[in-house]
Amino acid sequence: MGIGPLSRVTPQVVTQEDVVITHEDVDRAHDRVRVSAARAQRGVFSRFRLLWLLVGPGILVMLGENDGPSMLSYAATGARFGIGFFIPFVVLTFCMAVVVQEMTMRLGSATHRGHAELIFDRFGPFWGWFSMIDLGIGNFLTLITEFIAVRAGLGFFGVPPWAAIVGALAFLCLAVITHRYWTWERTLLAIAIFNLVFIPVALLAHPNWHSVGRALITWKPLPGGLSKDTLIIVLADIGATVTPWMLFFQQSATVDKGLTKKDIGLGRIDTVVGAALAATAAVATILATAPLFAHHMTAENFQAAEFAQALQPLIGRFGAALFALGIVEAGMVASVTISISSAYAFGEVARRPHSLNLPMAEGRTFYSVLFLCAATAGAIVLIPGLPLVYVVLLVNVVAVLAMPPALVFLFMLANDREVMGDLVSPMWANILTTGVVVFLTLAGVLFGISVIAPNIFAFLGGK
Amino acid sequence: MPSKDKGHSSITSSDQELVLSSLERDQLAGVKKHLIPRRHLRGLEKFVLWSLRIYLLFMMLVVVYQVWIGTH
Repeated sequence: MGIGPLSRVTPQVVTQEDVVITHEDVDRAHDRVRVSAARAQRGVFSRFRLLWLLVGPGILVMLGENDGPSMLSYAATGARFGIGFFIPFVVLTFCMAVVVQEMTMRLGSATHRGHAELIFDRFGPFWGWFSMIDLGIGNFLTLITEFIAVRAGLGFFGVPPWAAIVGALAFLCLAVITHRYWTWERTLLAIAIFNLVFIPVALLAHPNWHSVGRALITWKPLPGGLSKDTLIIVLADIGATVTPWMLFFQQSATVDKGLTKKDIGLGRIDTVVGAALAATAAVATILATAPLFAHHMTAENFQAAEFAQALQPLIGRFGAALFALGIVEAGMVASVTISISSAYAFGEVARRPHSLNLPMAEGRTFYSVLFLCAATAGAIVLIPGLPLVYVVLLVNVVAVLAMPPALVFLFMLANDREVMGDLVSPMWANILTTGVVVFLTLAGVLFGISVIAPNIFAFLGGK
Repeated sequence: MPSKDKGHSSITSSDQELVLSSLERDQLAGVKKHLIPRRHLRGLEKFVLWSLRIYLLFMMLVVVYQVWIGTH
């Protein structure tokens, strides 16, 4: 039996009680046997098989973050501001996401502990509960928006709201019904890849590729200068790529999958591939809705179904239907990943079993939290008259505001030599992470100023 | 010798061997019951954590204010 860096701070004497073998261990061991067999073989095919076995958490977290509110933010970006500033900006935010998520994958692989568990153990319950409250509020608000997206997307096809929510909850149940991490991961990956449906939608919009290339290279200034509206979109686009639930989800999923320090290299590839796929879908969404900007159509109050309806004259019924389906997929996949992120964190903090390998009898708490979060969020969406539009608009902003404290915990854990051993963050990663924290904090401060003193940007030369 | 949990009677001895030969010690669900020792926070670390906590609380009030303005 191998040991990891954490063994230096956990008891060295393994008692009989410690090595109680559970179904969770057995399932994970079966997965690891396949990884070991692929690693032992030589040849290109074996390398690809090993990569295939190890990818998952990185791609899922990135495509999961291309969720309902994120795709709506990208759609609003394209419709209101075009591509000049925002295409390179969105690519930059995904680079930030890679820097951040790589640390969670490394932490999970090195320590075999979830993010919430590590924060509670290393920083104590005082800071741990703060962190959990941030996660809980952010996750719940985001879950509500996922169901809003599903409802709105299916509304394009005439599906009534209650049927859309029941369908989304049924999908959530089906996704975890096998009680096997591997099956869940592969099923969700297959569905999450439909996030790329925004690419054909973008192609149907016939983008000017010369302008797209020029936008990527030249990075034009913010259209209309810095104003409260542009700032909210900037924050929403940042919140569409880096949010606290991603930290908790990828680390816990890495642990549940059973990655070890030998897998970190391929774990990085998993994260980068996920970011590349998600960035492609995000850019495609901006390109798809950019014609609304080019045709000077007002898009300020568009939500999911309205975007699809507004695009219909420009990209046809088929393209609009694909757009609506993309929004549904984004909401459904994210509702699964975010619910699971909450359930993992709760299980880690409450010291209850928390794994997608758990049979129902052993993981009642884990599955109960998962379904309860989702069902409550779904029910809220069905309450008539609630100002849900503000939740959609502000959920990504809240995510950006909550990121700096979450990132500081991540930064400190990834540099904690007692738990990470030689796998602590290198200097370049620390510099980049510090840059991300400073950038997100400044963006949040600017948002605060724009709300408290709305005329400040006009005074400074913007609108 | 590893043991089987009372609720895991279907786990065979070959399963146990498989687990012990293919998982790292810290990967076992049982080992995760052990808490990792707390670290001592230095002055600068406490300052950063408290500053960001105050920042977040203040910004959440700003968001609530923004929603209140929007709904009225």
